[in-house]
Amino acid sequence: MTVRHSLLALLDREPAHGYGLKTAFEERTSNAWPLNVGQVYTTLARLERDGLVTPRTAEEGPRQTWSITDAGRAQLAGWYASPVVDDPPQRDELAIKVLLAIAAEGEDVDGILAAQRATTMERLQELTRHKVRADPDRDLAWLLILDAWILTAEAQIRWLDLCAARLAARGER
Amino acid sequence: MSVAAPVLEIRDVGRVHASRNGPVRVLGPVSLEVGRGELVAIMGPSGSGKSTLLAIAGALDRPTEGRVVVAGRDLADLSAAQLAELRRRTLGYVFQDLNLLPGLTALENVALPLELDGASLPAARDEARAALARVKMQHLADRFPEDLSGGEQQRVAIARAFVGKRSMLLADEPTGALDSVTGELVMRLLRDQCDAGGTALLVTHDATHAAWADRVLHLVDGRIVDAASSPRANRSNAVGP
Repeated sequence: MTVRHSLLALLDREPAHGYGLKTAFEERTSNAWPLNVGQVYTTLARLERDGLVTPRTAEEGPRQTWSITDAGRAQLAGWYASPVVDDPPQRDELAIKVLLAIAAEGEDVDGILAAQRATTMERLQELTRHKVRADPDRDLAWLLILDAWILTAEAQIRWLDLCAARLAARGER
Repeated sequence: MSVAAPVLEIRDVGRVHASRNGPVRVLGPVSLEVGRGELVAIMGPSGSGKSTLLAIAGALDRPTEGRVVVAGRDLADLSAAQLAELRRRTLGYVFQDLNLLPGLTALENVALPLELDGASLPAARDEARAALARVKMQHLADRFPEDLSGGEQQRVAIARAFVGKRSMLLADEPTGALDSVTGELVMRLLRDQCDAGGTALLVTHDATHAAWADRVLHLVDGRIVDAASSPRANRSNAVGP
């Protein structure tokens, strides 16, 4: 996950201290990906090394605050301007498990597919319950995250169904 | 799960069709209970028997084996006339399309089953108006189906399927012809109706719509191969506002 660019995006709005960045990030992303405060500080140190942020002398209180530099702003603009490309795709544990089970010829592939399908369906039901409770006006970020997770779970179910159909068709040939 | 008698009880039910090459099993044996207030979804590939199961549960088709009990009545014990009455009074149906009679307004469509049941016209219309209000369609009560969008027509069909003292709604791909946002509205409505005490059995190929159900049954080659259920009680969850 790109903590680096997230911190630049937050600092572009206003200077902040490390813990403030952690809470601001979690607030804007609806706590979907909690940040370790240690990770925030190590990332800030690297951003400072690269000249993208600069520490500010503490005016009010003992906590170090940080602000974004012009180079940091340029880097952030580049991030916003570049579409995210998943290429090569990340390793997919489920796909690997299913392919290895098929290759093993003796594993209960249908059983693996059915158990996974039921588990993913339960996850989809749980996400849908969260969606029912979310307020579209207040919880937009949370709703958008739920939509993304719901569509990912749906894609997985469709893939499992395709696997089952292709295996059945192969068995009939 | 409540201790009350289930609205639908299917016990070892199967359906075998005769064909030139001998008998073909299209369903079962399957067993299933649906309690009051439950929304149960059935998924499965084409030809898996899901629409057959729905038709049998809805007294539109008879099983060749097993027992079907709807609202406490064993369907095998009912005459054709009693079955027709059960379909009219106890069950509601929503299909993918062509749910409404084109010559009647939304209100008249919803009131029709009550009128057929002998309710007076004013009483039927009052009840139909209340049913339309529950699906937030009261403002379009006087429109004809052709002047309603697909999603609005399905909402009217759901209002009609739950009108009066119906025990259970049977829906076969009710969101099939709708875009995803409208489909979600229809599912939200079904969910609300079940949370208010309605009961529904739903066939869908869309996992995101099935996920609104309390239970999702997966049918393959006429058998339930897995079932996902979602406990009503909230699970603890680390994320979210």
